[in-house]
Amino acid sequence: MTSRRARRFLLAAAAAATGASLASLAASGGHDPAGESPSRAPGPAVALAPPAEPAFSVPAPETLQPSRFESTWASVRSAAVVRAAPRRGAAVVGHLDRRTPEGTTNIVLTRHRAKDSQGSLWVRVSVPALPASVTGWVPRAALGGYGVVRTQLVVDLGDLQLTLYRAGKAIFRAPVGIGTAQFPTPKGDFYVRNKLARYRNAFYGPLAFGTSARSATLTDWPAGGFVGIHGTNRPDLLPGRVSHGCIRLRNEDIVRLARLLPIGTPLRIRA
Amino acid sequence: MTLHDFDDLRLDHLDRDGALRQAADNLERTSRAGFLAVAAGSVAAAAALARPQAASAQLATSDVAILNYALTLEYLQDAFYTEAERKGALSGPAAQLARVVGAVERAHVKALRNVLGKKAVKRPFFDFRGVTEDPPQFTRTAVAFEDLGTAAYKGQAHRIKSPEVLAAAVGIHSVEARHAAWIRYIAGTPPAAEPFDEGKAMPETLRLVRATGFVVGRPRTGARGAPRFTG
Repeated sequence: MTSRRARRFLLAAAAAATGASLASLAASGGHDPAGESPSRAPGPAVALAPPAEPAFSVPAPETLQPSRFESTWASVRSAAVVRAAPRRGAAVVGHLDRRTPEGTTNIVLTRHRAKDSQGSLWVRVSVPALPASVTGWVPRAALGGYGVVRTQLVVDLGDLQLTLYRAGKAIFRAPVGIGTAQFPTPKGDFYVRNKLARYRNAFYGPLAFGTSARSATLTDWPAGGFVGIHGTNRPDLLPGRVSHGCIRLRNEDIVRLARLLPIGTPLRIRA
Repeated sequence: MTLHDFDDLRLDHLDRDGALRQAADNLERTSRAGFLAVAAGSVAAAAALARPQAASAQLATSDVAILNYALTLEYLQDAFYTEAERKGALSGPAAQLARVVGAVERAHVKALRNVLGKKAVKRPFFDFRGVTEDPPQFTRTAVAFEDLGTAAYKGQAHRIKSPEVLAAAVGIHSVEARHAAWIRYIAGTPPAAEPFDEGKAMPETLRLVRATGFVVGRPRTGARGAPRFTG
């Protein structure tokens, strides 16, 4: 027998033996019954436990559904100059502080982003200003983490009504008091930026939301003349044009609204 | 080393919402107690199988702590990929990865919250500091996150008392490893460079997470002061 033929023979024999062993193992269900093959060396042919059932299952992944009702806000991490274009040296359109006049973290609505020639990231934000909000650019580094809301608040000055939408559906409506002709509630696009509670001032009711809207007539009002959304001690005046620009709700309505309204919600005040 | 030995890392700065602290404290407490009886844990886990959605009350305390630790890391990954997808700064393979992996990480969060029920730690607040809006930084960070997540699961595997919880955990662990290989491939890094992977202990994992600066305090948007609005 040549060495090549011998190698073929050995390979064939080995294959046959392996096949016979696997067939035997399969026929015995993986066990080697004691006494039936005394000449076979004891191997690891013990019955391995089946895998444990997982204590919980993971649901099918769901892709993110882009929504035109989503708005993104960011906290202000450091005071910043707001510029008309995404580059240092562009015209100044405003300033951002880290805190609101109420002492809460200042937040801004974010819109777009861009990189300058140095590769630094800038974000376009809404800024409280007079006579209405303006948008401008701040370095991304001046902002903190992002928050996302799917709500929008609309105050209709004609109908004297406030409506809260979630994902485009109205989920809350209430009659409101708005500014008088002398101290009108400003029209435009703003946002809700904080919530005050547990104070003792019946005039504002049990709860008050701060907004980025500012009165164009009460510019020397303490803390900048910002417009709030709050309760009242005169529910008999609602709905009506009765305030200094703030949006007043009955106390039971402001409490209900507070359960539904996340901070960062865009606010549209329209005629 | 105990879990409190890393107080010098100022976990409070890493974790102003307390989610990681809660997970760390739970793990430490169960470590000191030597964990509850293994038999009791196994019986509890077996019972949990019958009602998987109400399982947390029947899981061993140590397993609840480990699952909360896992949930915290899943929150981090979920927030990272979801924000990257929302910001839309990525394109090509990285965008596809963010979309697919983000959906998976959200599913992991949902599963862990379901099994933990009321014992689930709350979601921390994250500030990714523009990393989700910068493709090269995103890719580098995703590599680090997936390697870290894989090593963190492995680092706790030997401490899990319930075989059923372990089965679920390794089911997630191998998925994290696939993510790690995928993002490494995109980054041009060898997907499987080593013949053996070490697990990572919790202090080391938290140290690395803290080093990112991505876990921050939730913005304080509420106050008790009297309003000074125009009225």
